[in-house]
Amino acid sequence: MRAVRSIALNVFRESVRDRVPYNLVLFAVLLIGSSYLLAQLTAGQDVKIIKDLGLAATSVFGLFIAIFIGIGLVSKEVERRSIYALLAKPISRPQFIAGKYAGLVLTLAVNVAVMTAAMYAVLGYMTWIETPAFKASWEAPGTDPALLKAMALIFIELMLVTAIALFFSTFSSPILSAALTFGLYVAGSLNADLRNFEQVVDSRAAAWLARGLYHVLPDLSAFDIKTQVVHGLPVPAAYLWSTAAYGAAYIMALLLGTMVIFSKRDFK
Amino acid sequence: MIRSLAACACLVLAMVLQIWRDQGFPRRELDTQKVLYVRSPEVLKRLVLGFDALAADVYWIRAIQHYGGDRLDSGLPRRYELLYPLLDMTTSLDPYFNIAYRFGAIFLSEAYPGGPGRPDQAVAILRKGIAAQPGKWQYYHDIAFVHYFSMRDPVAAATWFRRAAAQPGAPNWLMPVAAAMLTQGSDRTSARFLWQQMLGADQEWLRRRATHALLQLDALDQIDRLQALIGSTPKPPGESYNWFWLVRSGRLLGVPLDPSGTPYELDPVTGRVTVAQRSLLFPLPKPMDPR
Amino acid sequence: MSSAVHIEGLTKDYTVGFWGRRRYRALDRLALSIEPGEVFGFLGPNGAGKTTTLKLLMQLIFPTSGRAEILGRPVGDVAARRRIGYLPENPYFYDYLTAEELLTYFAQLLDVPAADRRRRVSTLLDRVGIGRERRFQLRKFSKGMVQRVGIAQALLNEPEVVFLDEPMSGLDPLGRRDVRALILELRDQGRTVFFSSHILADAEALCSRVAIIAGGRLAAIGRLGELAEFAVGGWELVVANLTPEALERFRPLTTRVTAIGAGRYTLELPLAQAPERLIPEIAATGAMLVSMNPVRETLEDFFVRRVAEAGAAERADTPERHHAGG
Repeated sequence: MRAVRSIALNVFRESVRDRVPYNLVLFAVLLIGSSYLLAQLTAGQDVKIIKDLGLAATSVFGLFIAIFIGIGLVSKEVERRSIYALLAKPISRPQFIAGKYAGLVLTLAVNVAVMTAAMYAVLGYMTWIETPAFKASWEAPGTDPALLKAMALIFIELMLVTAIALFFSTFSSPILSAALTFGLYVAGSLNADLRNFEQVVDSRAAAWLARGLYHVLPDLSAFDIKTQVVHGLPVPAAYLWSTAAYGAAYIMALLLGTMVIFSKRDFK
Repeated sequence: MIRSLAACACLVLAMVLQIWRDQGFPRRELDTQKVLYVRSPEVLKRLVLGFDALAADVYWIRAIQHYGGDRLDSGLPRRYELLYPLLDMTTSLDPYFNIAYRFGAIFLSEAYPGGPGRPDQAVAILRKGIAAQPGKWQYYHDIAFVHYFSMRDPVAAATWFRRAAAQPGAPNWLMPVAAAMLTQGSDRTSARFLWQQMLGADQEWLRRRATHALLQLDALDQIDRLQALIGSTPKPPGESYNWFWLVRSGRLLGVPLDPSGTPYELDPVTGRVTVAQRSLLFPLPKPMDPR
Repeated sequence: MSSAVHIEGLTKDYTVGFWGRRRYRALDRLALSIEPGEVFGFLGPNGAGKTTTLKLLMQLIFPTSGRAEILGRPVGDVAARRRIGYLPENPYFYDYLTAEELLTYFAQLLDVPAADRRRRVSTLLDRVGIGRERRFQLRKFSKGMVQRVGIAQALLNEPEVVFLDEPMSGLDPLGRRDVRALILELRDQGRTVFFSSHILADAEALCSRVAIIAGGRLAAIGRLGELAEFAVGGWELVVANLTPEALERFRPLTTRVTAIGAGRYTLELPLAQAPERLIPEIAATGAMLVSMNPVRETLEDFFVRRVAEAGAAERADTPERHHAGG
């Protein structure tokens, strides 16, 4: 386990030195700048829009980090051959994979945490300057703790995308991995169509195939509760837990698959 | 060093040339504000990949700007043609976007030139809101207002107010408003029915209001009958209208009193019957002119 | 006493071609044993299979058949890896780390106790000649400096067996001398060193035994002194003030004549031509004998010859096989 931790911390250190945290600065600028502009444009909807923007930007920035660092996690080491010296150390190949994954998850966790804090800071300011009468018309409080639920699911979704990127990175080139990971992200986000395929098509076989795909592909649209949280609609705890557990199971499957593939690989 | 300065100078020159050319040959502005690249909400929902609420916000901002822009624009003919599509997109992307339905309906029903003057579209968008959130009494209330203000149909408005009142959490002033609307629409039977229901309400003010309204309805009925009576009795020539020749002709037993006990007034010139100003029932609700 | 490294029948095939139909044999039934405390040289031309062998030993690639053991444990045993060190060929390490950070990171992975880590890292960096630069990121290091860091990381855990793939590559003569001294030091400490190289001079200076590999096959293995071909093969005389007439007289006796300039010549004589009878005759012409040396076949000649033989054998065996230059 100590080996996994060392590798994870090293991945985190690499992302810091690759200047990944600068994206946080961009995020902060985006959020603060928008909050100022939006007040002029939106007929009183600025708090809603800041919430939408904050959640969406966290998701998008996190997605970029997950994909672009994820695809390089293994392939960069193999291509540059820094993996030779590493695997000669007393660590197993599965430990290597676990360490790499944990490191990127740590990077994402820090990212999401900082973005959440920044968003709450901006929302806090906007709530503080608003009159109580106006605030009474809001569907959800300005600094609504329910936003944390949305952030938690976004984080688990990012962990899942990272696992997908890592999986592809063990056997394809970076460009192909990026394309496949992004493709799966799109498919997983649009999977509602697959679920309802039988209503659109006559062929039973096609409907079965679509249903099968719906279950096999990662169900990413389920992690999106942004709209509900922003409008103050309730999200049952059971939904949160079951979706989180689904994510955990899928991630485990991917990691184990990655370890299997990676353990059999020749490094030319 | 020289080369850097030369590079900047060339860039400045390029900008100057651009300004000079634009002045000499003004370009037809492709009115980007009026272009809607994606018209189908379903396609857009898929394109934005789960960032629906944010896309809805973008379309909402565009809708406001489109409305505001056309409204404030003193030049070109204003058509507000994109307002409904933009609001439709906004609400398709985010079906819970409350303000888009409500303000949207207000903008849409605003009469030309202040707005597109499309109360039918306003009702359509509010019905969409009801489809997404059937229990929200505000949407029914807003539809009722569109019927009342823009379409001048108080009876339809009353129907919608009653529906609003039936939703969970609806405020208790909706029913009285519905009843008042019915009276304005000259549907006194339904109005009376509603007011009678309110006689059994919990709140004191509601019961008093209902009692008062029922008396006013009775007064209206009585006025109608009196008016018919006056119309059918020939007036002695040279005399102004008054109660006495009616009494003398045997049509009335005495000066008629309104349900609150105050005598009705008869206009000597026009022959119109009204309640007295000092009556408790003054002023009586007036029927709305359909337009 | 068990061997430090034991290889039996180790074979590695790669599939090449678009559908993976053709097979390229990078290593063919290699068998050798290395005793503890030896400095073993693994020599061969580029593409012979040296790096393939080392990668198989580090389990970076998997054998098609055969097996290998290090310190009595099968290759791939994680516990055994605590006791070995490895320097890859043309190493690349994380260039965003400093030399110190890299070694500290590896020391963590090697379970070097935290109390010892700093001292060991510092000592090793001193030993390989990295001074102030240890605080700079590796991306600023020259190739030679990276090589030194690589050697340092191979020694972090005070390994019993050290595997070095082309340890001299990228080093200038001073660096090469330092590495030679280091390898001898390791030997004196009782460690086993297995290194691959194509620089024969280093092998001659350091190794107790060598193996020569060419075309994926073991061509020769044994003590340098014992490899029989290193007998005397001829004589080399350097002569000055030799007149052209005298030169023509002696030319038929020689195998080769090289003019060094202004009357000086190198005469190479075959073994059979006893030089002690020729020298007085040369002196009688007024020429001067500058030096006389026996010519042994050097490791290089031996090497070249055995490689050529191996190539011929390979072509005879498998006419359709050909190198992919790997």
